[in-house]
Amino acid sequence: MSDGATATARLAPWRRSPVASLGLYGHFIRLAFLKFLAYRLRYYTGVVSYTIFVAGHYYLYLALYAGRAAEGLGATVGGLTVREMITYVAISWIGRSLYFNNISRDLARMVTEGEIAMHLIKPFHLQSVMMAEAVGEAGFRLIMFTIPIMLVVVPVFHVGAPAGAAALLWTLVSFTLSLVIYSQLSFLVGCLAFAMKNIQGVLRAQMVGMDFLTGVIVPFTFFPAWFQSAVNWLPFQCISYVPVMIYLGKRTGPALVDGILLQVAWAVGLTIAARLVWRYATRRVTVQGG
Amino acid sequence: MEPLIHVRDLCKDYRLTDRREGVRGGLLDLLSPRRRDLRAVDRVSFDIQPGEMVGYIGANGAGKSTTIKMLTGILTPSSGEVTVGGMVPWRQRQQYTRHIGVVFGQRTQLWWDLAVVESFRLLKKIYEVDDATYDRQMKLLDDLLDIGKLLGQPVRKLSLGQRMRCDLAAALLHRPRVLFLDEPTIGLDVVAKENIRGFLRGVQEREGVTVILTTHDLGDIEQLCRRVIIIDQGRVHFDGELSELRRRVGQTVRLSVDLRDPAASADLAAVTVGLPVNWDDETGLRHVARFNRAEVRAADVIRLVVNDRPVQDLHLAEQPIEEVVREIYRQAAANNTDSADDTGTGAAK
Ligand SMILES: Nc1ncnc2c1ncn2[C@@H]1O[C@H](COP(=O)(O)OP(=O)(O)OP(=O)(O)O)[C@@H](O)[C@H]1O
Ligand SMILES: [Mg+2]
Repeated sequence: MSDGATATARLAPWRRSPVASLGLYGHFIRLAFLKFLAYRLRYYTGVVSYTIFVAGHYYLYLALYAGRAAEGLGATVGGLTVREMITYVAISWIGRSLYFNNISRDLARMVTEGEIAMHLIKPFHLQSVMMAEAVGEAGFRLIMFTIPIMLVVVPVFHVGAPAGAAALLWTLVSFTLSLVIYSQLSFLVGCLAFAMKNIQGVLRAQMVGMDFLTGVIVPFTFFPAWFQSAVNWLPFQCISYVPVMIYLGKRTGPALVDGILLQVAWAVGLTIAARLVWRYATRRVTVQGG
Repeated sequence: MEPLIHVRDLCKDYRLTDRREGVRGGLLDLLSPRRRDLRAVDRVSFDIQPGEMVGYIGANGAGKSTTIKMLTGILTPSSGEVTVGGMVPWRQRQQYTRHIGVVFGQRTQLWWDLAVVESFRLLKKIYEVDDATYDRQMKLLDDLLDIGKLLGQPVRKLSLGQRMRCDLAAALLHRPRVLFLDEPTIGLDVVAKENIRGFLRGVQEREGVTVILTTHDLGDIEQLCRRVIIIDQGRVHFDGELSELRRRVGQTVRLSVDLRDPAASADLAAVTVGLPVNWDDETGLRHVARFNRAEVRAADVIRLVVNDRPVQDLHLAEQPIEEVVREIYRQAAANNTDSADDTGTGAAK
């Protein structure tokens, strides 16, 4: 027994080093990636459904802009031309295909079925594990979803090019931050399962609500001003609206920096909030079954 | 010696909501839920020394799993204290769980979709097991639990017994100081049970690991544990050595007698008249006498019988542990309904 078992009745203090943490959570990223790859057949249809969403919006906005032009109402809606609008929609959905995941649903299931106990007896933090898995999943989504969808959607619907090389780069950075914000928000929603008997309704509301509030379903610029300024105080615009506006070149210079900083702030803030909620919940919660 | 596991006045209340019936009841439940607290663990105290293997037993719903969940840091107690090796499980969860191994017979701690070996590799990283230790442990665990052939399969495809062996191996991979086993032999066949008991005995002897084990199979206890703690309705009703448990209930022994010629039990009762010996009501060749060792010497009973009639064979056995424990449960239940805090000393017969 290397730990000197019977000699002492004390357990040695222990802490995972940053390097070891990187190794461990990196391993979780890899495993999640491989897991999704193994189930890839289930996801092939995703490319089709994303394309259909974009197609729907495409024809809708074409008709809308054509109607306005016929009435002589000007060529922009909410500051966007028809070309920009279609680009907005396409990039929003392409981005969503990357950052989307089911953390809230998975966490809620683990809590209600008591599987959470099996994570609490291991020396890791489930929040970090789930974030790592989300990164692994995003890697899978990038190759199996995002890139194929781009290859279909961009030429078919004449999606506009990014506003420049820098804009493209910042869009990628920005969507990466979206992944963190989306995941942590989703983790927080999942934590509600600790307090609620039945969380299915909340999960459904989240599915629709997120897409609405992020501006994926209806572009933010369509909302009334009061709504836009209210939403400004919430993290949702940082998930989709900010990166898409960077792509379109509507956020440059200081506005771009502000956007990225705002995203970083939300990412950090939500991660801390989720950690606190988790701590509170696991300390007062009862675990089902067994 | 300083105890490794220290438990004082540990309590856990579950908050229950009683549902009313019907639509009206459902609406009322929404407005004013009927809540009450259920005390699942009630002022439990014990100390466990390093290297002990302790059986923690009790009827269904007695509070065994709840206690284990508090000791492993899954649940926070309502009150009372627990320290294991100086750590408070639910406060120092990350560093504490590094040192313990846990098996819940009812569910697996392995990753459902991963091949068993992938789960082990992940555990190696999680517990920071170095390569040499990992290889040695894997080899040892394969020798003892015969898991080599299972390594390539996903956990969801394993049978219960196979899964349990893998779970045990997983709990021991990082050579924990303390092992918590909640029904590790549940649902296993006789041979599998026997193997797992042998394995646990070996691990305990070799590694000096401290073990708390819950079970409904008293064979586990008899073969593995010198010390047992019996709880009922959340309270400790017995804490001591197995032999002490037998003594407390009354050391009943069971003498079976095979006669040459058939007889009625009344005939035999007549032979031992004057001694507090009970003969089971039987006729024929095989007869069974029960008596308390403290009151009657077995030698006296045997001499009386043998002198009286021709005897083919004799067999003297202690009361099976099941009966002893049943007796304790019965006393515990009686105490719970009567009055509060007695721990059931009177070994009434
Ligand atoms: N999550 C929970 N919520 C409410 N009550 C619970 C919960 N878990 C257990 N209980 C109650 O607490 C009591 C003790 O349960 P526990 O699971 O600790 O018993 P046990 O001794 O492990 O029983 P078994 O032998 O059946 O596994 C029971 O009355 C049970 O109904
Ligand atoms: Mg139990």
